[in-house]
Amino acid sequence: MAKTFQWEDSLEKALARAKAENKPILLDFFNPQ
Amino acid sequence: MGAVTYPDERVVTFILENLIPLQVKSDAQPLATDFNVKWTPTLVTLDSDGKEHHRTVGFLPPEELVPSLLLGIAKCHFDRERYEEALKALNRLLESYPKSDAAPEAIFLRGVSLYKSTHNPKPLKEAYEKLQAEYPSSEWTKRAYPYRLIP
Repeated sequence: MAKTFQWEDSLEKALARAKAENKPILLDFFNPQ
Repeated sequence: MGAVTYPDERVVTFILENLIPLQVKSDAQPLATDFNVKWTPTLVTLDSDGKEHHRTVGFLPPEELVPSLLLGIAKCHFDRERYEEALKALNRLLESYPKSDAAPEAIFLRGVSLYKSTHNPKPLKEAYEKLQAEYPSSEWTKRAYPYRLIP
């Protein structure tokens, strides 16, 4: 099975993970259409 | 991006190891207004306090996304005066992706990071000389132009 990653969908969750894991955040604004 | 770049194994591995990925619709409020998003894809690198350090607009293939993300990570460290960490990301970018579009800015920022961490101006002149030799038409070569005068 191909490796993949899971997008967070909330800034608050991403910030909490960023602090806990000491990593920056990649924020992607996308067009769903 | 979703069809070509994000499924790429190099991209998946890099994001898993180095970043927290957050994806929202381009009209999601309040983020779209807070980050002044006008076109997609807009990719923003944030630090763990939510502060923006790097942004790109438009499609990037895998071989350009990873170096762009490395530049974003380097800027997060540089802006916080963590020059050693910034240099690690910049050196990785320049060693692994020397022909990428992010490389000229990385050469410039590496020179500045070395100067800021050592107070030795020589790396600034070396950055200009490398830019002039390898990327003579880059905007970063123009920005480094004054450094040619450093003795």
